Amino acid sequence: MSGQQSKTWDVAVVGAGMAGMSAALFAASRGLSVLHVGNGGGLLFASGLLDVLGVHPVAPGRVWDRPWDALAALGKDDPGHPLVRVGADAVRVAMERVMSELGDAGMPYAPAEGNRQVPTSLGTTKVTYGVPRSMVAGAQAFAEGLPTLLVDFRGLREFSACQVVQTMGDRWPGLRCARVEFPDSEALSELYAVHVATALESSATRERLFERVRPLLGDASAVGFPAVLGLSRSGQVHQAFEAALGMPVFEIPTMPTSVPGLRLKGALEAAVGAHGVSRRVQSVVTGIVFDGDVAQLTLHDAAGGQTAAARAVILATGRFVGKGLVADRRGVAEPILGLRVEQPEARDSWHSRRFLEPAGHPINRAGLVTDSVGRPLDAAGNPAWRRLYAVGSILGRQDWMRQKCGSGLSAGTAWAAVDAIAGDLGGPGPVAG
Amino acid sequence: MADTVFHEGFFRIALWVSLALGGLGLLWRLVTWLTVRIGSDAREVSFGQRLWAAIGGGVGALFSRRLPGMMGAFFLDVLFQRRLFATSKLRWAGHLMILVGFTVLLVMHALAAWLSGKLFDNYYATLNPFLLLRNVFGAMAVIGVVLLALGRRRDWAFGRPARRPADGIFAALLAVVLVSGFLLEAQKIASPKAFYRMTDEFGLGTDAEELAGLRWVWKQDYGVAFTDLHGEPDADVLAEGRELNSQACVDCHARPQSAFVSYPMARAMAPVTATLDAANADRALLWLHVLACLLGIVVLPFTRFFHAVADPVSLVARGAAASGPLSLAGRVSRRALAADACIRCGLCDARCSVAPIARWLDNPELLPSRKVQATRRVAGRAWTRVGDGDADRLAQGAHLCTDCGRCTLRCPVGLDLADLWDAGRDDLAARGLPAPATWIQEQPAIAWAEALGTELGRVPPAGPLSADRRTFSACVQCQTCTNVCPVVAHGGTDADRVDLTPQKVMNLLRLGMVDLALGSRMVWDCATCYQCQENCPEGIRVTDVMLELRGAAWRQLGPVRDRRRPE
Repeated sequence: MSGQQSKTWDVAVVGAGMAGMSAALFAASRGLSVLHVGNGGGLLFASGLLDVLGVHPVAPGRVWDRPWDALAALGKDDPGHPLVRVGADAVRVAMERVMSELGDAGMPYAPAEGNRQVPTSLGTTKVTYGVPRSMVAGAQAFAEGLPTLLVDFRGLREFSACQVVQTMGDRWPGLRCARVEFPDSEALSELYAVHVATALESSATRERLFERVRPLLGDASAVGFPAVLGLSRSGQVHQAFEAALGMPVFEIPTMPTSVPGLRLKGALEAAVGAHGVSRRVQSVVTGIVFDGDVAQLTLHDAAGGQTAAARAVILATGRFVGKGLVADRRGVAEPILGLRVEQPEARDSWHSRRFLEPAGHPINRAGLVTDSVGRPLDAAGNPAWRRLYAVGSILGRQDWMRQKCGSGLSAGTAWAAVDAIAGDLGGPGPVAG
Repeated sequence: MADTVFHEGFFRIALWVSLALGGLGLLWRLVTWLTVRIGSDAREVSFGQRLWAAIGGGVGALFSRRLPGMMGAFFLDVLFQRRLFATSKLRWAGHLMILVGFTVLLVMHALAAWLSGKLFDNYYATLNPFLLLRNVFGAMAVIGVVLLALGRRRDWAFGRPARRPADGIFAALLAVVLVSGFLLEAQKIASPKAFYRMTDEFGLGTDAEELAGLRWVWKQDYGVAFTDLHGEPDADVLAEGRELNSQACVDCHARPQSAFVSYPMARAMAPVTATLDAANADRALLWLHVLACLLGIVVLPFTRFFHAVADPVSLVARGAAASGPLSLAGRVSRRALAADACIRCGLCDARCSVAPIARWLDNPELLPSRKVQATRRVAGRAWTRVGDGDADRLAQGAHLCTDCGRCTLRCPVGLDLADLWDAGRDDLAARGLPAPATWIQEQPAIAWAEALGTELGRVPPAGPLSADRRTFSACVQCQTCTNVCPVVAHGGTDADRVDLTPQKVMNLLRLGMVDLALGSRMVWDCATCYQCQENCPEGIRVTDVMLELRGAAWRQLGPVRDRRRPE
């Protein structure tokens, strides 16, 4: 047991995905002392694209140009959705905040006005709100149908330029593909995306790559690459590409786990660290006990157990992959506190008969239920504790994957929870920006 | 007087013999600095080149940009002992007191006939300030020894560092010199016999009645233990004594109270002074004192106390190296010098990164203070590789070192230990004891797996982590570990590229093929940077598993290799 035992944190954030990171960031920038427990590994599955709300309703798959209009429609049809509870203003300010923090940490985002259609490595397009500056030219080139060259690297298995052309060529007639040998990799049969990304942070490697790409440009007025243009300095690397090739350059997000996922994780970790959040990366919270005005958390890592005390707790443990929810044949449970999980009545009603059911499966909308300010309910239907909040995908009554609302849900609910906690603890109001 | 031993033939013979032997010992040690070869590059330079580098290079350095570094080293490191000051204030205080105490005693007292006597017109050991100062410096040396002993005990991480028997002999000789010196002085203060010898020598006679006044004065003021003077002296007799004292004695004799160590000893010894006089104790003590000094000269070059010679040389060489690398010949000689310059003080051990492992393995050969000696031994001509436990323990010490460099930073005499370890590993490899990574990578993983299968049948799990299916059950083979791995990123050539990426190693374990994982290059090339573990989205302890495999490979593949190795 270490000396931290004696300290009582203002807020303990459990979980380090998009929701946990946002909550830690927001709480720390409000001047609260934050203990943040959890490994941000889940962020590696992210694409770097930040959704707010792209699709509603799910069954017909209606895609919206403006997330705020979509949210208004959602409010009418589904008033119990957590995004509706939080409201557009909170979601907007939370997203602005997250994107500006990511920019400060070396992962700049394009100014967001509405939703964009971003081409993916599968040759599909994805509707999304926050787009890294390194990817935004792809959405513009696709929208305007510009003659565009897609380049891939021999040995990099995640991305085939010609496969993208084959799939989306009829929607994008000016699209061409080409394959080049990545510098210094002639002897390698397989390339790894992160190694390519770090190699491109060296200007010498970039120069040699440019020499190989320039002869292929032809009539192209934009050029796309797999999302490997730099790792921690992707903003600078992208600028260098545009300057050297003399035209808009864009990255196409690749399949998880991807370089943009690593960038997002690294940038959020840097941002959280810069705000003085105290992190326990290798620990997991195995229990929380409420003792009057203070919550006692039990933490475990490879070395053993520890306890920590906090005046407020934000639960951001995610769904099944993040182990915030666990399922067995009898049902779905929340493992740390045994909170109430709203779920289909019986196991056999979890899924529809059709695997690719357009409306989604009932189990996808299972999750915690909260009161009007975001406090999860216990088995008896009361808030489990005065200052326990649940944020992000662990919440029920939403289907973030199909609705394309993951980041908005995470950041928006985190913003609302921190706002409520700061008010309750008597902290200062929200800091502008 | 007793000092006449210095004019006796035996003393002169003993002096010259011990100086000759001590000189030969010194020469022998100096020659080893130029002949001992530590490191594979040491074979590239000859004795002649090293001699030239030491003499020519040393003199040349005095007229080069190296001079300021050498001067700084001499004044700050050698005289002020800056490095010890930074490491341990207590030991610094103790060591400086010994250094000053003994140096001054050596120059002013032992060499009095050649130096002090010529330097000062009025030098008498029995006059102040010399009487006081001898006690001051003697006491300093004694206090210094006590401080060092206290400081040392605090810093021994693994119990007492290794000592040679000669070290104990020399320490005992030093103690004899210090104690006999004080006892001798005390006995001379209190001795009536010495009193009479002086009165006789200066023509005052030896008649007790005639000298009554002077004796009273010397009993009262100088602490001579006359057993036949009782009561109070007659005032006239005393006045006569004082008169005589001021005419004959005071010019050469200060009152001995300023000998603040010996005088109280003399008072305490008063009851037995007569007995000691009868036994000629002053003469015996003087011989003891002198012979212990002479024997010390003979033994010195073969003890760690030789650092008094080696360390100044080592520190000045270090100062020279500060303004640019030394020649290869110079570097090689510095390594050889290190074995003599190391006093096995154990300060490095206390900060050694692998000290906890040394304790856990119960192998003190991991500790730097022991490794200096081991490195020297392995480099020595007499050392031959034998497949014995002793050699393996030395090799374990050399190869488990993390090269963190803390020993080099902390060494109070500024030895370049990092360079020494590097060179020592070369020698071990040349003697058939390379690092495990070297011999394991001599054949591919599949060959080890086959050998293990032949030898053991079924290969046991590598350890608790690899044995537990839950360690890997969450692995989705997403390649993040491989993606972030700097060792995989390094690529390299076909000959040295990693064979199995981290995610493949995890997959092998998941499939129960631990035998294939054990001999893989990845396990040994792993930089243990923990990137894989920190980035694993499923929280799998990839690096911890690699380390477990490494330990298991060493345990399980070692015997296979030993059985196959030609005799």
